[in-house]
Amino acid sequence: MELVQYTVRKLIAGIPLIFGVTLISFLLMVYFGPDKTYELLGKNPTPEQIEEIRAQLGYDKPVVERYFIYVKELATLDFGNSESTGEKVNDLLARTIPVSLLLVTPGFILGNLLGIAFALIAARYRGGWVDKTIMGLSAVGMSISFLIAIIAFQLLLSSNYGLGWFPVRGWSTDTPLDYLRYVTVPTLATVFVALGYNTRFYRAVIVEELTRDHVRTARAFGVPPLKLLSVHVLKNCMIPIITRIVFSIPLIVISGSLLLETYFGIPGVGKVAYDAITTGDQPVLKAVVGWTAILFVFAQLLTDILYRAADPRISLNGSSE
Amino acid sequence: MSAVAADLTSALPPRQTLWSKAIYKFRRDRAGLIGLGIVLLYALAAAGVWLGFWATDWADVSGPKWAPASAEYWFGTNMIGQDIFSRSLYSTRTAFEVGLVVAVLSTLIGAVFGAISGFFSGSFIDELVVWLMGVLDSIPFYLLVAAIAFSLGDNPYAMHIAMISTFWIGTSRLVRGEVIKLKEFEFVEAARSIGVGQLTIIFRHILPNTLHILLVQSTITFVAAIKSEVILSFLGIGVQDGMSWGLMISESTLEVLAGFFNNFIAASVLMFGLVMAFNMFSDALQDALDPRSTVGGDS
Amino acid sequence: MTVLSVRNLQVEFATERGRVRAVDNVSFDVSAGEILGLVGESGCGKTVTGLSILGLIPSPPGQITGGEILFGGRDLTKLSDKDYEQVRGSEISMIFQEPMTALNPVFTVGAQMTEILRLHRGLTRKQARAAAIELLSLTGIPAPEQRIDEYPHQMSGGMRQRVMIAMALSCDPKLLIADEPTTALDVTTQAQVLEQIVGLQQQFDMAVVLITHDLGVVAETCDRAIVMYCGEIVEAAPVEALFARPRHPYTAGLMRSLPRLRDEPVDRLPVIDGMVPDLLELPSGCRFAARCENAAEDCREKRPAIDGNGHAVRCFYPLSAGGAHD
Repeated sequence: MELVQYTVRKLIAGIPLIFGVTLISFLLMVYFGPDKTYELLGKNPTPEQIEEIRAQLGYDKPVVERYFIYVKELATLDFGNSESTGEKVNDLLARTIPVSLLLVTPGFILGNLLGIAFALIAARYRGGWVDKTIMGLSAVGMSISFLIAIIAFQLLLSSNYGLGWFPVRGWSTDTPLDYLRYVTVPTLATVFVALGYNTRFYRAVIVEELTRDHVRTARAFGVPPLKLLSVHVLKNCMIPIITRIVFSIPLIVISGSLLLETYFGIPGVGKVAYDAITTGDQPVLKAVVGWTAILFVFAQLLTDILYRAADPRISLNGSSE
Repeated sequence: MSAVAADLTSALPPRQTLWSKAIYKFRRDRAGLIGLGIVLLYALAAAGVWLGFWATDWADVSGPKWAPASAEYWFGTNMIGQDIFSRSLYSTRTAFEVGLVVAVLSTLIGAVFGAISGFFSGSFIDELVVWLMGVLDSIPFYLLVAAIAFSLGDNPYAMHIAMISTFWIGTSRLVRGEVIKLKEFEFVEAARSIGVGQLTIIFRHILPNTLHILLVQSTITFVAAIKSEVILSFLGIGVQDGMSWGLMISESTLEVLAGFFNNFIAASVLMFGLVMAFNMFSDALQDALDPRSTVGGDS
Repeated sequence: MTVLSVRNLQVEFATERGRVRAVDNVSFDVSAGEILGLVGESGCGKTVTGLSILGLIPSPPGQITGGEILFGGRDLTKLSDKDYEQVRGSEISMIFQEPMTALNPVFTVGAQMTEILRLHRGLTRKQARAAAIELLSLTGIPAPEQRIDEYPHQMSGGMRQRVMIAMALSCDPKLLIADEPTTALDVTTQAQVLEQIVGLQQQFDMAVVLITHDLGVVAETCDRAIVMYCGEIVEAAPVEALFARPRHPYTAGLMRSLPRLRDEPVDRLPVIDGMVPDLLELPSGCRFAARCENAAEDCREKRPAIDGNGHAVRCFYPLSAGGAHD
């Protein structure tokens, strides 16, 4: 019961955020976005035709009213149809979001798991050559643009000038093997770029925790170093780790997928969102932005609940016991 | 008596400020010095382009198509016969221009917002700023940039404005946190008690104590700006006029499929060089300014 | 029978301003069943000495640069990491000063105790849990079957320290090192915990090295005491002799400065003039010379060596009997 109350409270607290995100996005993309009046008309439109089109596109209504229509759409989760393809927006999202998820999830999970693993190793041997090598390689990874990594991996692994083992573009999940073939190169690029940042961050968190008294106690009782790190230390680092992981999820799903999808020709939500901006497809935009904001609020809620599981000192009413 | 006095003075270490210690530590950080050196080299190259000393011919379509590296065309030529070396050099200038503009402005804005919201923490102004930061953070970066770029039309600074509008947040958060701590210090109370106005306190007394944060953040932002430019230019919403590494890589995506890699390699390697060097410099700066780290040791 | 023998121990730390020798040529023995007090003010090297016995000196800045630590027929300073791990917590245990932070906050008390029991004694989960409950009740914790599943933050400071003691004793160590175990506790709890330590020590027939800055604690619990100053031992003696007839001016000064009941009131408590010298700029002669009332010329020029057997002192002009009280 306490959990339900807490959840409701948190969701309500997230409303200003959703309001803010939708408002700013609305203003930017919808109000200042491209005016499609003339695109949809032929040459020499008559004033009546112009008015008709504008009414159809909703341009004639005042800003505030248009925003409230948006809010209503958000509340009912019905955003109408895409202006570009005419498809129902919800259908469009239902089709493309899973693709994006399948695309970015392996890289995301791998990038974080490996990041934590390397950070543990670096912390174990900190100050030594292992640590310096890992940190050095991380610095290199951080200095390479995602795009460059994508192009390089595609060249090396997929093209005729490289190994040619993987398809150059495209997407198919018909069989698990197909999925593997299409997701590998994007995943490698993602992991390559994310690993540097992740390793550094996790190492910093872990090293900070290593200075704590309870670590000295565990050592004094003979706990071997690897167990010390991976059990005693790591569990205490869960709060910053969880925060980072959960909050990077919305970013990864849209921003990360955008580039990959554009480059590899994968029909996911990132590309859809981007196209919607360039063509000014309002319904799609409203839907994407709205969903992103909701996702953020849920992410915050999720982290709070996970904190509780990770650190017994935290209670749900917000204070420490 | 003299023995006691001698003991007392020898017991106190010579006075050190954060900055004198930082300079001392930085001078001994080899990676940082190398990084700084390389960055200065690039900066020199960029300055030369800006002053018109070299790479003025970057747009000339005079050479043969896809020429390999030679004495005349150091990096070869691209698909329409332009000298890749010139273009790479010109792009250095663009990189610095984007990096500096974005870094300086976003650090400034972040500092101002962070200081004000930190000083008045808990009040409506603070809530407003924190809300704004949360909102802007929640909007996916590329979508926001694209939206701003489109709404500003053909403005050549659309990309810069878009970047600044998100990059200020990181700095602002850190400054806000620091100011919240600093405003409890006695020097603030002292200033207030002699009647110093609040804004003066914020900007002349408190904010200078966050300088080390601002310095490190500006280097991080510089790097982020350069890296983002690559992807934005590829998506078509980056640099609009002139040449940049992002545009070169963008071009090269077609070329590499035909087997011509010079364009790609030149832009990638040069960009990597600058970013890596800057990262090394930024790391060394951070370590030097960290009050807890020691010379030659690892924290 | 000697359980621990420290010979000419030297520990140095690398700091920004140079190398500091925190422990300089320290030697002492600990016999089975005795409680040895290691006394001194903050920074005198007593904690570092304690940590070095278990090889817990933080290694980038610190290092054992000389001497031997003989225990169980081996020199611990030459031990490999793996072998040391087996000694720690099972043959030699250590408890620390801050019970608030010494225990891992995200694991239950039971989890932390059973981990050690399973690590060193190879018990099964059930056996370990039962043993842990028994140990908790042994150290005077009420309702141990419930407490065992609690988290450290749910317990008071005194109880946390008892948990630490229980953990330290769980594998029947031959030597217990207690680093300021009661400093962070209030006086009443202090007394209880000390009583516990002494009682358990007799029960388990352990040797104890009790590190403290509190002379009162030493007087109450220890059999012998070693006084340290600036990384050196300046006096070592059985406790009665130390308190009745302190021979080193520093020890005498410490005892004089203890607040106590007097026949006549005094305006100010007696203190030792001056300050502890900076370890990076040590004087060439006796390290206490600058603050010593009896200091002579040769005290400032030459360093005295530790001298005497039952009651050893490092001084050219040690105090004779009757120097303790004013």
